[in-house]
Amino acid sequence: MSGSTGTAEAGASAPASGPEREPALRTSSLRKTYGRTVAVSDVDLSVPRGAVLGVLGPNGSGKTTTIRMLLGLTEPSSGSVELLGHRIPEHTGRALPLVGALVEGPGFHPFLSGRRNLARCAAMEPALFGADTGTAVGQALERVGLAEAADRKYRSYSLGMKQRLGLAAALLVPRELVVLDEPTNGLDPAGTREIRRIVAELHAGGTTVLVSSHLLSEVEATCTHAAVLQHGSLIAQGELNSLLESGGPHLLVSVADREAGLEALRDSGVPARAENGALRVELSDRDAPEVIAGLVRAGVDVYEARRERAGLEEIFARLTEEES
Amino acid sequence: MNGMTSRVELPSGTRRRESAPLGRVIRAELGWVLRRPRNLLALLGLTALPVLIGTVIALTGTPAAGSGPRLLSAMAGNGLVLPVFSLMMTQNLLLPLVTAMVAADALAGESASGTLRGLLLAPVGRVRLVAVKAVGVLTVVVLAVGLIALSGALTGLVVVGGDGFVTLSGTTLSLGPALGRVALAAGWCAVQMAAVGAVALAVSAMTDHPLVVMAVAVGGLIVFGVLEALPALEWLKPVFLTADWYSIGDVLSDPIRSEDLLTGLWRAGCYVLVGMSAATALMATKDT
Repeated sequence: MSGSTGTAEAGASAPASGPEREPALRTSSLRKTYGRTVAVSDVDLSVPRGAVLGVLGPNGSGKTTTIRMLLGLTEPSSGSVELLGHRIPEHTGRALPLVGALVEGPGFHPFLSGRRNLARCAAMEPALFGADTGTAVGQALERVGLAEAADRKYRSYSLGMKQRLGLAAALLVPRELVVLDEPTNGLDPAGTREIRRIVAELHAGGTTVLVSSHLLSEVEATCTHAAVLQHGSLIAQGELNSLLESGGPHLLVSVADREAGLEALRDSGVPARAENGALRVELSDRDAPEVIAGLVRAGVDVYEARRERAGLEEIFARLTEEES
Repeated sequence: MNGMTSRVELPSGTRRRESAPLGRVIRAELGWVLRRPRNLLALLGLTALPVLIGTVIALTGTPAAGSGPRLLSAMAGNGLVLPVFSLMMTQNLLLPLVTAMVAADALAGESASGTLRGLLLAPVGRVRLVAVKAVGVLTVVVLAVGLIALSGALTGLVVVGGDGFVTLSGTTLSLGPALGRVALAAGWCAVQMAAVGAVALAVSAMTDHPLVVMAVAVGGLIVFGVLEALPALEWLKPVFLTADWYSIGDVLSDPIRSEDLLTGLWRAGCYVLVGMSAATALMATKDT
């Protein structure tokens, strides 16, 4: 642990110093073909324990197929999956009791009440013992805000309530990994916030979470890591922060004299332009302090400097464009 | 700097196991099967059928010997015949229909409603799932056959009376042995339906559409019926599940003519074996 003596303030994104444990999830060269259609190809995904991974990709990019392979619902054409250290699909019995999942929307029986549907799920849960099943069902319903409607038939539920019940099933037992496939489908803004809250709770409790979504803002708001799928291939993965950094960060500097500032920057070879009364400085090969110091040395008064980075949307657009 | 991630602490004393106790899973499955409104309605309808037949006969009398089904004309003065006659009538179409319906819901229906995924994710092992589903189908079969026999026997007793039952061979049985014959017929019929159920379960593992299962099961029985009627295919008869279904009436001879009944039993056993093996194999690789 010989710590470097770099300034702590400058390193906004500390490198992940995760424990030397196996990742919660690891795939290697995962591939799935249906006839001649390649749904997923060569996906090497690694999700560290405790991460909240957002799996991004347009519709049909292979998100759900990948998730289904991770959980042993469908067998990969080739490649391997390790879920919480267990090979899938050979050892689903060891891994799945510790995994909660909501895949391809909620699946329940319309002729049973929400509570009975959930009780049926609870009966099948290896991790629930005897009398705990009733309690677990009650708590899960409470947690997703369905306690009031628990005894109504599932067929009378709204889309959002159905989604909540699916979430309740995934959260019946404390899990090490929770997989949510498009969890906000059909939810109103309040419901979406609720999902964010639940994901944050899970994260705080140390649970690894995998959320797939085509909504970028969703992922940006809740995730620590992101993986981007396009045409069945993984085109980027990593910590959200470093992904965002890679998207061309820049500095917004307000100065007294814009012309002088631009000139000074041009002289030292830093790309910059005037924008909205400030200078927009590309931070491709310089650090922010270096840029500011350079300005000050050149006699330009600096009032304010603010680091800005590209949004996920920009990065996503760039990644998917490059690919195609 | 300590690690940002911490392991989730499961409640203390939590033991690890790979599957829920089988008894609990089966109870949950039966609870599901027996709460399904259409299953309950089907059972109710099948129970009502012998009562209906018995009532009609009581009101109108049986057809003269030779003008209707043999068993029907034998029903005069013989309450023992009604349950067996009811089983024979429902065995041809109604019972297979109900059996196929439950088997269709068991895997194809669960798959269609997205609930099969939930079961596999719990996880319920795939082989275990087929076994649990088979128990569910068998339960409905036994209930259906049992209810028909019971309501048939009760109706028979009420309509015809309870002392001395005349067998088809002309001998007379007392109540105990007579009910034993009815139970035998019910058991035999249940085995035949288990055969239908096993094959239907295999189809159910193959498709996501419950209707396909019903169509294959009922269509298959109709095809058997047609082929059986072709003299040129006499040699194929041993493979037709339905070939000996009419021999259920043999339980009413004295002594019981067991030859065809036993053949039918063996044949159904083979169907159960083949059906369950196919269901297990198909389920093992089913995409859900």
